[in-house]
Amino acid sequence: MSTRQVAMVMDLNKCLGCQTCTVACKTLWTRREGMGHMLWNTVNTQPGTGTPHGWETMGGGFADGEARPGHRPALDEYGRDWAFNHQDVFFGGDSKERLVPNGGAYGKGANHDEDTGAGEYPNSYYFYLPRICNHCTHPACLEACPRQAIGKREEDGIVLVDEGRCKGYRFCQEACPYKKIYFNEEEGVAQKCIFCFPRIDQGVTTACSRQCPGRVRFVGYLDDPAGPIHKLVNVHQVALPLHAEYGTQPNVYYVPPLSPPKLDPDGNPTDEPRIPTEYLVSLFGARVHEVLAKLEAERARVRDGGESELMDLLISRKWLDMFGPFTRHPREAQPVHFHPKRQPT
Amino acid sequence: MSAPLASRRVANLAPLLDPSHADWERHAATRIALAPTPLGLQPTPYVRNTWKDRPYGALLALDVASVHDGRGWALRASWEGVSAPGDFPDALAIALPLAGRPVLATMGSAEAPIHYLRWRADREAVSSQIAHGIGSSAAGPPIAAHAAARAAGTRWQLVVSRPLGAPHGAAALQAGVSTQIGFAVWCGGNDERAGIKAFSIDWLELALDA
Repeated sequence: MSTRQVAMVMDLNKCLGCQTCTVACKTLWTRREGMGHMLWNTVNTQPGTGTPHGWETMGGGFADGEARPGHRPALDEYGRDWAFNHQDVFFGGDSKERLVPNGGAYGKGANHDEDTGAGEYPNSYYFYLPRICNHCTHPACLEACPRQAIGKREEDGIVLVDEGRCKGYRFCQEACPYKKIYFNEEEGVAQKCIFCFPRIDQGVTTACSRQCPGRVRFVGYLDDPAGPIHKLVNVHQVALPLHAEYGTQPNVYYVPPLSPPKLDPDGNPTDEPRIPTEYLVSLFGARVHEVLAKLEAERARVRDGGESELMDLLISRKWLDMFGPFTRHPREAQPVHFHPKRQPT
Repeated sequence: MSAPLASRRVANLAPLLDPSHADWERHAATRIALAPTPLGLQPTPYVRNTWKDRPYGALLALDVASVHDGRGWALRASWEGVSAPGDFPDALAIALPLAGRPVLATMGSAEAPIHYLRWRADREAVSSQIAHGIGSSAAGPPIAAHAAARAAGTRWQLVVSRPLGAPHGAAALQAGVSTQIGFAVWCGGNDERAGIKAFSIDWLELALDA
């Protein structure tokens, strides 16, 4: 058990699906050999099958407190890094040949069903769901590993793979119900989001949160009464874990998305939201109802000229207030070096 | 305990580093019984829950012969079960006690470690590892161990070789001295890795000719 826990809250009402977070993470952490397909941060369109393809049906986690068997995703299920048909386009002799990315079995790679969503016009709908490792309080990956190669840091609960101990058995991939652990086939080790711990250690927030143009991501300690995480999770109680029923106690939380009203056949707004609330309940649990009602009520209060601490918090006019104690500029920190080379055994 | 596994002295080890060399026919193989590792010894609930209804360690017999020439030692193992390439490779480990009287089934202990030479089908090198208990194996002494493997239809033929003596703290093998030896075999095609394997249950006596 860690003495403290860093956590993240993502406000899904503000996510643009721009993938800046994905790129920020990718360029910082996953440029070694064998990491081409790795996106420790993903943003998928919901409803959708996500990354890896169909991850919510792959098992793992805990059922009634017992470790539940899970599927080990193949590289194609994660989505391969794109390969292009440059040779055919530029040298194939067919002027009609067009540049096409090949992302593996599911076509576009990790973001294979981008902006597909669900529903019929004019009531079609979708929203974006960014995901990282949940740095769970009860990590199924850690508990599955026969090598004790996965640890949870005492000081902040960040879950890390010790690549020196990892032997590539991949039980962690099977056990993680969020399927947020990747396997480096070149190095034979499991790799995953590290919650930018070399930055966190120096008071700098994660790359995904700092780079987010939508001001979606809040970072801080769960028990810091002055920080945004404690306020959103514990005080206002509008941030919910994803698939809490998986039993791992994830430490990434989501403010569920409101949506415009569904239209009737005559084009008039109804009382139903465009995004079916029951779908959101399937992701974030039964408290979605009260959270959406609270968000609506607080919005109305501000619309009517009133004040709302919750709305001020979610709007995030002061950008650095989103990051708790992690407000240092990366320029002020020591350069990040996190390239542990595994000693083969 | 079953009859010792004899390691016969030969004049020249070099040709016998080839697992299909005809001279191996002169050295009768000993058939070693294997069994699945006990499910209860798997170190995590996840592994136990996942494998409780799934067969593993199905290989029942490993055929082994051994020779040395006073400088080097070689062991030829052959067994049924060549897997297609997949997530996990077929593999074999040879265990030798490093100190004390280690329990093979628990991969030794802090006071009684085991030295393993481990071959896997997707790599040329043999890895040298030391274990002080289940899930504890780490890089072992840098011994000059080699392997040559051949898939003969559905059957592996593998020769693992190393110098005699105890170079760099490796488990000792000496001409004219008996020691103990154990084996583990992983079927990669059945996703076998870590403690999910077949093993020789207990030590066998390995008797090296003088």
